[in-house]
Amino acid sequence: MYNLKKLFRWEIALLLLLIIEIVVFGTINPRFLKLSVLLYSINDFICICIISLFVTFVVITGGIDISAGSIIGLISIVIGVTWKIAGINIWLTIPIALMVGALCGALNGFLIAYTGVQAMVVTLGGSFLFSGLSLVVMGLSGASAFEGISGMPQEFVNISNGNIFRIPNPLIIFLVLTIAAYFILHKTKYGRYVFLVGINKNSARYSGIDTKRIIMSTYILSGISAAIAGIVLTSYLGGSRPDLGAEMTMPIVTAVVLGGTAITGGVGSVAGTALASVIVGIMRFGLQMANVSTQYISVAIGLLLIIAVAMRSISFKSLINTKIAKRSILSKDNTKIKGEDQ
Amino acid sequence: MKVFLRKLLKTREITVAAFLLILFLIVGAVNPAFLNLQNIGLTLKGSVMYVFLAVGMAFVIFMGDIDVSVGAVLGMCAAVAATMLRSNKSLLEIFAVTLAVGAAAGFINGYGVAKLKIPAIVMTLGTMGVLRGLMFIYTGGKWVENLPDYFKNASQAELFGSINIFVLLTVIAVIILQVYLSKGKRGKYFAAIGDNIDGAVLIGIPVNFMRITAFVISSVCSAIAGLVYVSQVGFVGNVAGNGTEMTAIAACVLGGVSLNGGIGSVVGASLGAVIMNSINTALVFLKVPAYWNNTISGILLITIVVADAVLHSYMSDKARKERLSSRFLTAEAKSDANGGVNNV
Repeated sequence: MYNLKKLFRWEIALLLLLIIEIVVFGTINPRFLKLSVLLYSINDFICICIISLFVTFVVITGGIDISAGSIIGLISIVIGVTWKIAGINIWLTIPIALMVGALCGALNGFLIAYTGVQAMVVTLGGSFLFSGLSLVVMGLSGASAFEGISGMPQEFVNISNGNIFRIPNPLIIFLVLTIAAYFILHKTKYGRYVFLVGINKNSARYSGIDTKRIIMSTYILSGISAAIAGIVLTSYLGGSRPDLGAEMTMPIVTAVVLGGTAITGGVGSVAGTALASVIVGIMRFGLQMANVSTQYISVAIGLLLIIAVAMRSISFKSLINTKIAKRSILSKDNTKIKGEDQ
Repeated sequence: MKVFLRKLLKTREITVAAFLLILFLIVGAVNPAFLNLQNIGLTLKGSVMYVFLAVGMAFVIFMGDIDVSVGAVLGMCAAVAATMLRSNKSLLEIFAVTLAVGAAAGFINGYGVAKLKIPAIVMTLGTMGVLRGLMFIYTGGKWVENLPDYFKNASQAELFGSINIFVLLTVIAVIILQVYLSKGKRGKYFAAIGDNIDGAVLIGIPVNFMRITAFVISSVCSAIAGLVYVSQVGFVGNVAGNGTEMTAIAACVLGGVSLNGGIGSVVGASLGAVIMNSINTALVFLKVPAYWNNTISGILLITIVVADAVLHSYMSDKARKERLSSRFLTAEAKSDANGGVNNV
């Protein structure tokens, strides 16, 4: 009950933050308030939105996935190489790309769930591996890594650049995925399992949940979402490059944490992440429109992250002081026990 | 003997050093030029920066925390040092200001983590963004170039024949920190807090103070790495230190520092850093195209860590079985088994 109340309030706070942000940027640059500009701005940060939705699942189970950004680059190259070098129909490359994304996620998930190595380490290795693989695939296929592969067919480019009823396609993709993620996490048995694994892994195991499979599945989901993001980004740019998405890890984690997901696991919501990812994205976009250099934006986002989390942890503490203290000790103990018996 | 062997296998630094040796031997067998003293010296020289980053990071990881802002601290400190060098400030002044900038960044990280209870990865992620931006504002987006030659030449200076002065200083620093960590009273606190933070609070260890200290050490080490960067590279670009945090974390993990906290050593972390750097050099000598670098680093990192985890779980399983069965065995077997248990 406490959790529900708190999450509700946090999402309202995020919504207010979003509105304030739009108003502020609107007064700085009135062009920002034009509906088409606002709607199409999502093209700039759609990848962050899509991936953070599903990285939320991973973080709720108590893990973290920092390899999702590198998977984008790999997917982009896989699409480019299978289309141009192997000559496969561009539409057939999409299922291949999704499969590659799922495989990357499965590799991460398998190692984390079944060997007991920390998620941070495995996905760190994964991020080296996947960004490296994209260069290898590129190198072996004989294309130049600096130029990338371009000249994708118009129909494929339209996935991201087209619109339905004047609503840009990426926005529709994002909304559909948000609803799907919301449904999976908050309305199904599987979603409850994900939460339970994050709250107390041992009790989840004792109540008959296959915790290893649940953990592995969250990484597969995040890998697939990275593949979707990779497809959208490749289509938006009309070409593939191996270094796409390399700098997206930090914004993704920012969005997930700002959205109210506890990095220690067990608490989180899809709606919060969706709102937070839009806040992070709009902030980047708005600062760019206000003629602020890209580098300055990282100061703003960094401060946003720290202040938001600090405020959250402080207000939180005064609200239910003892409860949280007990919880944090408990969860700390669990990770220790977990670490030892593996 | 069995106990001794097991203990040796458990000593992670031995495994890491053996791995480094095997790496050098295999690459040397394929291309003897790799074992050239000059090349080994070059490899060591190139890893000085990473060693400092990894050693600082190790202190934070001992606590069960993580510091992803080290790359940004390196960049910021390098920019500060380089601008001061260009305006011909005295060396003492430059060192003092650079290290102070590093210490301040570390203090902010530590304060946020220890006092405000912000998870370490979130806090350092935030400071990383802030510092990257501040560095850009500070340099105005321009490269800091035209540094005085004496500072650039310092990285080539040699002592006692052909030992690079930076390598020598690094070795000394690593030894001092290792002794501090394993023999000093305060040093033991790090492992105690990392192993069991609530227990550490109960026995009266100043947990918050030590956590802040760990972050300050990490950032000061990054500041030193920043000075090394300025000296070795000779200019400071906008992306100086980008991504080095990942290499530093990987080096720590390779060197046997457990991300759960409480386990590991400074020597291990620095060996890990040397490995991370030698892999890149080795691939050049093996004539592997450069685009394989990240893939191979990734595969190696995952393989070593997974192998380590599997080995450890096998060992602890065996120890548990021995402990359980020892109740039925003779006194002699009992003492042997107990010896095994004590070493877990």
